[in-house]
Amino acid sequence: MKKSLVISVSMVCLVLLAGAFCAVSAAEKVRGVTDTEIIIGQWGPQTGPAALWGAVARGSGVYFDMINEEGGINGRKIKYVLRDDAYQPAKTKAIAKEFVEDIGVFGVACGVGTSPGMAVRDYLMENKVPWVGPATGSRHWTEPFQKYLFALYPRYTDEAYVLTQYATEKLNLKKIGFFYQNDDYGKEGLEGAKKYLDKKGIKLAAEVPVEVTDTDLKSHALKLKESGADAVILWVLPKHAATILGQAKAAGFQPQWIASSTLSDAPLMYKLTKGLWEGVIYANFLDMDNPKVKKYLEAQKKFAANEQNTGVFFIAGFMFVEPMVEGLRRAGKDLNPDTFVKAMETIQHWNDWIGHDCTFTPQDHQGMKSVFLSKCGPQGQALKISDWLTYPEGK
Amino acid sequence: MDMKRHYYEDVELFKTNTALALTVLFLAALASIPFLVGDYALYVLNLIAIHAIVAIGLNILVGYTGQISLGHAGFFAIGAYSCILLMVKAGLPFVLALPAAGLIAAFFGFLLGLPSLRLEGPYLAIATLGFGMAVTQMIGHSDFTGGHMGIHAPKMSFLGFIADTGPRQYGVIMIVAVVLTLAAVNLMKTRVGRAFVAIRDSEIAAEAMGINISWYKTLAFAVSAFYTGVAGALMAFALEHVSAGSFNLILSITFLAMIIVGGLGSVMGSILGAALLTYLQLKLQIIQEAPLIGPFLIEISKRYFTTEGLPNIQSIVFGAIMIGIVVFEPLGVHGIYLRCKRYWRMWPF
Repeated sequence: MKKSLVISVSMVCLVLLAGAFCAVSAAEKVRGVTDTEIIIGQWGPQTGPAALWGAVARGSGVYFDMINEEGGINGRKIKYVLRDDAYQPAKTKAIAKEFVEDIGVFGVACGVGTSPGMAVRDYLMENKVPWVGPATGSRHWTEPFQKYLFALYPRYTDEAYVLTQYATEKLNLKKIGFFYQNDDYGKEGLEGAKKYLDKKGIKLAAEVPVEVTDTDLKSHALKLKESGADAVILWVLPKHAATILGQAKAAGFQPQWIASSTLSDAPLMYKLTKGLWEGVIYANFLDMDNPKVKKYLEAQKKFAANEQNTGVFFIAGFMFVEPMVEGLRRAGKDLNPDTFVKAMETIQHWNDWIGHDCTFTPQDHQGMKSVFLSKCGPQGQALKISDWLTYPEGK
Repeated sequence: MDMKRHYYEDVELFKTNTALALTVLFLAALASIPFLVGDYALYVLNLIAIHAIVAIGLNILVGYTGQISLGHAGFFAIGAYSCILLMVKAGLPFVLALPAAGLIAAFFGFLLGLPSLRLEGPYLAIATLGFGMAVTQMIGHSDFTGGHMGIHAPKMSFLGFIADTGPRQYGVIMIVAVVLTLAAVNLMKTRVGRAFVAIRDSEIAAEAMGINISWYKTLAFAVSAFYTGVAGALMAFALEHVSAGSFNLILSITFLAMIIVGGLGSVMGSILGAALLTYLQLKLQIIQEAPLIGPFLIEISKRYFTTEGLPNIQSIVFGAIMIGIVVFEPLGVHGIYLRCKRYWRMWPF
């Protein structure tokens, strides 16, 4: 009787021990990290209506190739998995599940689009997948705070605030009109501009919304003209920006146009407007004159020679993963999602990249809050007219 | 031979015991899947089940009643948004919100069915197309529905059971899909189903037989919209976040492609079509990783295409498969199934 009790107790102990041992060895294994490899995934539209933005994901790929060639990170090479979601949230979600369950990625880089990203945000966070640099300026990445999500693209609200501030304080333009796309992109811009003006007790001279599907902008141009604005801020698609400039000129209205960073491809806009874009002031979130860009384009010739779209979107793909690689470096040999988050949060006022002043704190994961301004020159070239302008925190 | 001696033999759900046994086996297999596969595979199956519900609903309208709709993404959106809004703003539990979302979609289906009494063919296609696009525009511009940014879905829950994990979601979605499939098979065996088919084959003959054309046509729209609305509601939970932009024209056309490729006028075909298209859409993007074909396609893409070549190959392959099926098998995947069945019945004679 006693003997059997001893045996059964020791058996139970053995099983428990074995279980505990298994649990320990399972905890030691980190998803997507081996001694020689870190697996990083990204989705990006390579087909469909948003395919133009797919260059972002390919840019990141070239950057990782470059890092691997330089010897990798702490002895590990990056294995990069790119998937096409065609800008369809249902596909994005499938890709996220594939990343986590099938491939087992350590983290996710960039990812174009707000609604595809929103479909997977909670899933990635629940599974502790670090995600760095979603490629839109939506506030949903940082509000509410997400532990494993690090945003880089300056929020549209912050950008509009800074632009309006510059227009009123530096250019001394007090009557400001706002021409925006009637959706969250445009409305977040409008909100940022109002936030600044409310503080100064100024009212916008005009708020003119435009629908994505509108083609005739004559009435919009007349409304802006009637308001007598000295400056008009544009928070719209490139085609609408081009049309409103043309219509306004036809109506004899030529204010100082100020454009958001989504319209920052000056040579393209110059061509699109047949020269009207000259003199327009616009925001930039990445510095194409940075010496690193040259190095990146050389890497592109080496690793992706037949890439045709090497403009702002492609280079942004490099920019959005630069802090991620820095974080992986700082996390050291002992890499898991929590050490990575801690390492990312040590990145403060970091400038060894093509963006500006990357800062993450344990309370705030919006890494970049600055843009600089350029003016479009007579041949469509970009003329830098300001330093980096940073959104004044907590004032 | 299946000789029928009685009316009820013809309308029986399971004609033979074999069919019943196979169905039970199939259901058992469906039930055991969550214990065998991972979360990713379950998500794919969830999408297939949701698309199958839409395809069945659309097939009731297009395949059985002979009306066309290019606006089903609209009903899909209405279902998704109604369910979320009913739960978030009105505090309804999921069990009530799901059928309610279906009924709201059905109501809009009824409204859209009214003009369909006067319109036919291409004209009806354009009217429904307009409806689908108008719905997404209105949802996108209303703050109540969260604008273009969309809204977040709450967790699926009823009676303290929260379907937050993959297997639980699979359970809920699959049960709804099975119930709706059986309901559709049954519906087609009733007076209503036969009226639908009669309208498809000849409106004049149907009317001469005493079928109230206007009633049954609008009913077909409503039933179809109900199915799509329920599927939309389930989709909202599978995605956790919905935004107006994803319910676009391409989605409506994909739904239509599902039933044409699967087989018009057949519930089985709807399911097969939905499964095939959903699977291809998700899996073709990694075609370059397939053995043999993959390296070959990469080589072609490198030599003749730009850098976006490879992703575009998936669209080409997708299109080629669609064309191949429609050209060589006009009855769709269901036709292949029928031929296999006939072959085995004859075999080995």
